Amino acid sequence: MIQDAAKTPSLTTPTTRPHPINRDLFRQASVLIGCVALFAIFSILTSSFYQPSNLIDIMLQSSINAVIAVGMTLVIITRGIDLSVGSIVGLSSMVASDLMSHNMALGIFAGLLVGLICGLVNGLLIAKLKLPDFIVTLGTLSVYRGAALIYTNGQPIYGLPEGFRASFGGQLLGIPTPVIMAIVVAGLAFFLVRFMALGEQIVAVGGNEEAARLSGINIDRVKIVVYALSGLLSSLAGFVLIARIGAAEPIGGNGFELQAIGAAVIGGASLFGGVGNPLGSLIGALTLGGLQNGLTLMNVPSFWQYVASGVVVILAVYADRLARPRR
Amino acid sequence: MSAIALSEGTSSSGAPMLAMRGVSKTFGRARVLDNVDLTVKSGEIHALLGENGAGKSTLMKVLFGIVEPDAGVIEIDTLGAVQVESPRHALSLGIGLVSQELSLVPQLDVAQNIFLGQTDALDVVPRGRHREAAVEILQTLAPHLRVDTPVSKLGMADRQLVEISRTLARGGRIIAFDEPTSSLTPQERDGLFEVIRGLRDAGKAIIYISHRMEEIRAIAGRFTVMRDGKVVATDAMEEYSDSQLNELIAGRELSLAMESRPIRAGNEKAPLLELRDLSTTRLRNIDLTVRPGEIVGLAGLVGSGRSAIMRAVFGIDERTGGDIRVAGSPVNIQEPKEAMRAGIALIPEDRRGHAIVPMMSVEQNFGLANQKRFASFGVLRNTARRAEARKYVSDLQIRPSNIATPMANLSGGNQQKVVIARWLATGARVLMFDEPTRGVDVGAKAEIYVLLRGLAAAGAAVLVVSSELPELLLLSHRIGVVNRGHLTQMLENGSHLNEDVLMRHATAGGLS
Repeated sequence: MIQDAAKTPSLTTPTTRPHPINRDLFRQASVLIGCVALFAIFSILTSSFYQPSNLIDIMLQSSINAVIAVGMTLVIITRGIDLSVGSIVGLSSMVASDLMSHNMALGIFAGLLVGLICGLVNGLLIAKLKLPDFIVTLGTLSVYRGAALIYTNGQPIYGLPEGFRASFGGQLLGIPTPVIMAIVVAGLAFFLVRFMALGEQIVAVGGNEEAARLSGINIDRVKIVVYALSGLLSSLAGFVLIARIGAAEPIGGNGFELQAIGAAVIGGASLFGGVGNPLGSLIGALTLGGLQNGLTLMNVPSFWQYVASGVVVILAVYADRLARPRR
Repeated sequence: MSAIALSEGTSSSGAPMLAMRGVSKTFGRARVLDNVDLTVKSGEIHALLGENGAGKSTLMKVLFGIVEPDAGVIEIDTLGAVQVESPRHALSLGIGLVSQELSLVPQLDVAQNIFLGQTDALDVVPRGRHREAAVEILQTLAPHLRVDTPVSKLGMADRQLVEISRTLARGGRIIAFDEPTSSLTPQERDGLFEVIRGLRDAGKAIIYISHRMEEIRAIAGRFTVMRDGKVVATDAMEEYSDSQLNELIAGRELSLAMESRPIRAGNEKAPLLELRDLSTTRLRNIDLTVRPGEIVGLAGLVGSGRSAIMRAVFGIDERTGGDIRVAGSPVNIQEPKEAMRAGIALIPEDRRGHAIVPMMSVEQNFGLANQKRFASFGVLRNTARRAEARKYVSDLQIRPSNIATPMANLSGGNQQKVVIARWLATGARVLMFDEPTRGVDVGAKAEIYVLLRGLAAAGAAVLVVSSELPELLLLSHRIGVVNRGHLTQMLENGSHLNEDVLMRHATAGGLS
């Protein structure tokens, strides 16, 4: 009955405003255009870049980063950051490959569990103890890496089961399985953000945490979930890494955090919160992968590739800053 | 008090000391300032009048270099046309702003605050010299203040004096006061007026923003009225009566919703909301009831605890004692989501900070407190939600009517209506509105009044906090006065009640 009372006589003349341009669409279009432009440039500059085999190589090389970047995107949408993803890759792949020598399924399960727990710890510290995300994950970056080194006293683990290597580093219908995995993960995350209540809550927390709290949304749960997912996806990406190398190293995944943040931001996620698209991050990872591949083909020393990646990431953040309406 | 130090050559009376011409500013799609002119002479106190959201504060932010205008010029008599780039630049041009939110650093002492930012970053701060200069400034302005007291220990009135001193220390000649008395006692207010008159007599150009007509009468010589971002009148105070000014400020539309006070229809129903002995760190033993069909207003100074009552009921501030009953049964509210479950809604004062997610659409903002209702197995049922959002958009006359519009593109009034719709959709029967018309244009304001009355008539219990006493007098069946954390009065609304009576109760006993 109260709802019915909500009819008010209008006292102002209705103003018709032009249909707003769809900011999100514009963002995603620029992400795609940027990626295509980069690929076009390298195709002109080198003769081998556009070969199908090289393009598949780029996708394969980008898939690890893409899977991590999808989790990172969810974190970034809540206006958070996860610097510990690389260390989670290292720790979870060590545990997985160790237990895999007994039983492959056990190893996979344990690896995923380690990733999930590492993410949960991040989320709990950030949500429950109200600690800054940057410091918490910088701390766990060191803790998880240390744990990975302690686990085998710094030694790598060799000899992974063939079945495992085929599953996470093989092909399905001519397409590398890591590529399929990245696409599926990004698709599921896109569905989460776009069509599920939890996804909307993730956006609301990043867009205006206080408004979300005062609307009765469980802020803590949302934060814990995104960090847990980020950890889980990092361990999944770790499987691809060790399956391709054929061994697990305790320093595996070192420096992956910048790559993942870069892919998310290039893919249109905003470090200011409330904006981000997992499919965009997929393209972002492909863009970064293409950049590194193209520079390698042009014989640019790998040291300079670090510089280039960092510069591109900072430029992407700056573009996002410019795109934000001032106020 | 008339001999203010640092008074400098007064410019010849005729020419204005400050002239803002053709200033325009658009935020998103809202035209906040539309070709605004404002001229202030030396030795003049110029009142800037207008409703909340009329553009007064934005104009002052333009003057002080916080907001960059889209068009327009600012001229200063001795300097000609200037472009104010930042607050720092404004201060160096002799422009000062004493605003509602003071820009002092509480940890630093009075002298440090007065001279903050005056030393180049790598130079050693000349403490001794600053102290001496601060003593000199304070001598005439506020002899009771010691320069080595940390600002955190000062009350609001003294902090304002420090803020004014800071402006004077930079050779300030044009000083704007944005609602400086909103948290002062009458005694403190009189003291401030003495200071402002002293500044006027020393040849400064003063801009004074306030809602309170009697204050403006007491102090201002000329006025400018703004409405919806435009200047509607500028003249000498004595040419206009209070009611003429009020009409200029509110415009015609408002009269529709402003016909009469509500009639108290012997409402003896059982209370829907009942607070017994409610206490928090800021509230002491609040007893309050709101019956279905009733609008209860809460008056009080800023910081008196008006909003704190709502925050406690909604589970934002922790309760230290007492209980809350909804429809007779006690509810244990620790968090907003529990208040929501109990059928309570809060439409907060700070809309941008606490209520809306700007990048989300109208539909998503509407759905924010209704996530469970519009989802099955975690997947959103968009069709159902869209239908309901559209119904509210048309019922509440929300414009634009496209529910996919990002919330940031709506005017303040329409954003407010979306927030209200969000809470109506939860089925809440206890509705708390904290400053429901802040930053809302005149037309939407009248619509919100009609809406609040309609909600009460349909059986909701409505609690309203407002700084605008006429608004409370217009809407409320009963008005409670909050004074330093206590609910000191509960008054039946009627012809015996007016702004003066409410102000007297609100300031009784003086502040701190």
